[in-house]
Amino acid sequence: MVFILGVNFPERNLVKKSLETFFGIGHNTSSRLLSRFYINPTCKVGELANKQVLDITAALSDMKIENDLRRQNLDDIKRLKETGAYRGRRHALGLPVRGQRTRTQIKTAVKLNRMERRL
Amino acid sequence: MASAFCRSCLSRLPRASLLPPPTVPRTTTTATAAAATAGFHTSAAHYANPTKKSNSLDSGPKYRQAKSAKMKRKKPVERTRPPPIGERKALRNRIVLGNPNALEPTDMQNISVENMGDPRVRGSVVGLPVSMLEQLRSVHAFKKSQGWGLFRRPATFMRKEALEMGRLFEKISGEEQGKVVKKVITGKVGSGKSVFLTQAMAMGFLKNWVVFTVPETQELVNAHTGYAPLDDANPGLYVQNQATSQLLQRTFKANEKVLSGLKVSQEHPALKSLVKPGMTLAQLTGLGIKDQAVAWPIFQALWAELTSTSAPRPPVLVTVDGLSHWMQNSKYRTADFKPIHAHDLVFVRHFLSLLKPGVNGNSTLPNGGLLLYATSGSNSPRIYSFDVALKQLEATTSGINPKSPEFPQVDAYQSPDPRVIEAFTAPQPTSAKEGKLELQPLSGLTPEDTVGYMEFWAKSGLIRQYMNFRWVSQLWTKSSGGIIGELHRLAGRLRVPQRT
Repeated sequence: MVFILGVNFPERNLVKKSLETFFGIGHNTSSRLLSRFYINPTCKVGELANKQVLDITAALSDMKIENDLRRQNLDDIKRLKETGAYRGRRHALGLPVRGQRTRTQIKTAVKLNRMERRL
Repeated sequence: MASAFCRSCLSRLPRASLLPPPTVPRTTTTATAAAATAGFHTSAAHYANPTKKSNSLDSGPKYRQAKSAKMKRKKPVERTRPPPIGERKALRNRIVLGNPNALEPTDMQNISVENMGDPRVRGSVVGLPVSMLEQLRSVHAFKKSQGWGLFRRPATFMRKEALEMGRLFEKISGEEQGKVVKKVITGKVGSGKSVFLTQAMAMGFLKNWVVFTVPETQELVNAHTGYAPLDDANPGLYVQNQATSQLLQRTFKANEKVLSGLKVSQEHPALKSLVKPGMTLAQLTGLGIKDQAVAWPIFQALWAELTSTSAPRPPVLVTVDGLSHWMQNSKYRTADFKPIHAHDLVFVRHFLSLLKPGVNGNSTLPNGGLLLYATSGSNSPRIYSFDVALKQLEATTSGINPKSPEFPQVDAYQSPDPRVIEAFTAPQPTSAKEGKLELQPLSGLTPEDTVGYMEFWAKSGLIRQYMNFRWVSQLWTKSSGGIIGELHRLAGRLRVPQRT
């Protein structure tokens, strides 16, 4: 088990997939992170050198990921609501924001858009 | 019209029962059928519970509600434990080298120092000595698709080119010591390029040469092994420690006998603390296998030792299979996410630099040797620059002047890779013993050779019919002119013997 940014990953997992478990890191960011520290994409967590683990953790702690990113997301929506923008109103009403039709298929908006949105 | 009241109990009949009876012929045998079509009421129908409301799903979708459609959760599938790590790969890469059900041809010779250049063995199949199989396995000389598991024991066919190579081995080990021959081997799918390399390895082991092999070029560029920048002095170059360590391991296992007879003769400033005077080259190689971090410096030291002229050293055989993977960008990335060209990996760069002539009148291999770099017919990316480079090499091999109009030129609109073209355009070697890079195409067997090859099949008991010239000639034609892989495929098919 190897700790990366306080999360424990089993050694057999791919480093790339492990990085992508963090909110805010996808294929592109993880690939770029790996190449920054000269880690090949098929590298397993167990094969990382100590220094590489520390480097990755340091790089991740500088990035806006996980709760910081979620909070920023909420702040952005809050700003829209407070300025009374159309998008803010749609968020508050639980309706789609980007001009979709509302006759059918708005489950995501119903689920997510509400006055007090969850983190 | 019928009354609205029941005559027996005076209860009001339902409206439906007042309708004329249905036209369906009544059967009195079953009570239920009678009740369903009865013209009079039954109290059961009257007092039945009102029908239940149908499920909310049936009444159409509900919009603007979080739970408008419930999905049924699938039951988790029970999984068995996966096999241990490495087992599946081992099973996939397992190579069977023998078939106890096949017969062993009684007159089959083994390849040996005496017969490897003997024109009398041309057109026959020679066995690989059993004592050498472990060495050949350790340099990955056998591939899975080559059908070794069909015959009693591993054996290869001696074609014209193989005999010429055998004579070359004899010359380099004998009268023309220090000679270097460099060849790029091309040919269609199944024309026997990889087995040609296997034969070269076998001959190298027989002559006590040091054999270096790169059995899969793809493995070095598909980003499946670790990489790191070489050092600060050489920006833009990358080292692959794990792959280098594996190369050292292959070399050590296959050449242990030769390497343990040779001693370190030079100083290696990069490895001061590790290399001790009087160490054998086998011990030196072992250091790189043990510690991957020093694998590359150890490989360089080993190469420097083998190419030094201060002590007697054996000739070197280098084989590379599937050259085209090295002629494009690798899957590795630089720190700023740019692709790394395969030629910037020091491992690849080293083996490609051998194709160039040595500088300052020195030979690339001062103790002599053979470089055989084969292309692959099946697993090779299509690279325009490499195709042109091979055409140009073919032209120079056949003696066409590069300035003449027949010489194949690069089409600038195809965006050729100058590094690839440059890798194969070698100037005239300055050393007299060093040969220029040549192209050796492998084509099909001659019809006479095909007879010899099919006789081996018959003697192994693998053909269920009488072998005659007509049948062999049919096979030769069907295999597009004796392409040996096709011959193998056609002859190996199950046939029903013809009744005459």
